[in-house]
Amino acid sequence: MTDEICFAAATALAAGIRKGEFSCAEVASAFLRRIESRNAALHAFITVTGDRALQEAKARDAANTEQKAAAMLLGVPIAIKDLIDVAGVPTTGGSRVLHDNVPEADAPVVAGLAGAGAVMLGKANLHEFAYGATGENPYFGTCVNAYDSLRLACGSSSGSAAAVSSGLAAAALGTDTGGSVRIPAVLNGLVGIKPTYDLVPAGGIVPFSWLLDHLGFITRTVSDCAAMLATFAGPRFDAAPAATGVTRPLDRTRIGIPTRLASDRIDPSIRALFERVLSFLVSLGMEPVEIELPDLATARTVSLAIQMPEALSFHSRYLATRGHLYGADLRAGLALGQSLLAEHYLRAKRLAIMLRRDLERILRDVQTILTPAAPIPAPEIGATHVTMDTEREPVGNVLTRHTSLFNVTGHPALVLPCGMHPLGLPIGVQIVGRHFDEGRILELAQWLEQEPAFTIPPPPLT
Amino acid sequence: METEVKRLEKATLLQMRDQLASFDWTDEELNELVEPQRGIITAFQTLLDDLNALRQVDLGAVPPNEAPARPAGK
Repeated sequence: MTDEICFAAATALAAGIRKGEFSCAEVASAFLRRIESRNAALHAFITVTGDRALQEAKARDAANTEQKAAAMLLGVPIAIKDLIDVAGVPTTGGSRVLHDNVPEADAPVVAGLAGAGAVMLGKANLHEFAYGATGENPYFGTCVNAYDSLRLACGSSSGSAAAVSSGLAAAALGTDTGGSVRIPAVLNGLVGIKPTYDLVPAGGIVPFSWLLDHLGFITRTVSDCAAMLATFAGPRFDAAPAATGVTRPLDRTRIGIPTRLASDRIDPSIRALFERVLSFLVSLGMEPVEIELPDLATARTVSLAIQMPEALSFHSRYLATRGHLYGADLRAGLALGQSLLAEHYLRAKRLAIMLRRDLERILRDVQTILTPAAPIPAPEIGATHVTMDTEREPVGNVLTRHTSLFNVTGHPALVLPCGMHPLGLPIGVQIVGRHFDEGRILELAQWLEQEPAFTIPPPPLT
Repeated sequence: METEVKRLEKATLLQMRDQLASFDWTDEELNELVEPQRGIITAFQTLLDDLNALRQVDLGAVPPNEAPARPAGK
């Protein structure tokens, strides 16, 4: 078995296993071999659970035909962001602080994926405790972008994206507090989804912000994304059309286009791609509707005023005795959380509800909203600021500009790559939908994925 | 009537650390709030200005906690 199988879609792997083309154990072994040869350079995994992976794979192979038919993710090897518990395996949070934290039970999301037939390859690297969008981690190593090793994989789910894009996992689990699944996914040429708040159970994770944390998936295809999500959605949404690759007509469905994008600071190539995607959707019969999206800067302010006090509140248990083990950037962020007033936090929470109501009102008129995914391609390693239109901004603020609003409001949002930047880096769009209407955004994404004009080349095989 | 807020100084943060806060933030960490270099976080003064601007938004009786409405049958 060659490395080629490590770049197959998760749903294709499960189908091949069901047909008897290869076994779960053979697939798991192929991925483990690739991890062994590539992980030292990529830093995608903090802990590799090879024994558990092979044990699970053999158990899946031993299942009867009926059980195999019911397992949507049969034998699919996945990476778990190391903020999420896997029984008996350290959950480090990407930090020295939790070096001795070994949970006794799988997080519900891990148990759910295992129940659907997935095989756990290990724990993926991240920005310490999911704090930053650059994904840098001085302790466990910084993940590099699959398309350019001098650029960031971005984060905070950096290892999850790097593992899938570099063929070290077929899919990955991440967390998203302001864009931490979506940003690394799209900038590494992958699909990423942040489902509706609380659709995927968030138990068994090290929290960053209880109000803003969402569990999400990073996959190679839209169908893979639908298959992962279907494991948890149950009767709450209909993922079947996207999971089976069937697309329904988009005639006369209304898509919201934020008017403020016209004056927003966006890389020209990304703006041009966004226009091409919109034109394509209009050609399919969609009706574009101009909408007044809540101010993205307001959303960023609200997000910060909520997340930093919440993060401090969680980490206060460790700061007194293990404070010296935290990274410098996170400590500064926690200090900011300490310095805000209670009224700031409460006002931000009230503003969050107002933003959610505003977006719900918009989404009564349109079914979906289209935005660029990230306003810039993956930054170079070490970049701290970005200058656009003479405005110098922290790189983390820029990366999450179009994503963090939807953590504040809890709406589902999916990103997918639709083109290549002249620098040779993937760029893409974000589709946002109504609460619990993931099925619709998956279908829309599938239309884009099937259009040859929006296909991107795979990363250079290494 | 609201009091005009003066620009935040590092000395204020040092006093807050020493007299109010419960953790031993270093000078360098507090400096990062005043003049951020790492590119992750907004300058604290900017955040305070933004939060202050948001005071102009009339929130009426919007509460701090409200669960998202779930569609019928979901």
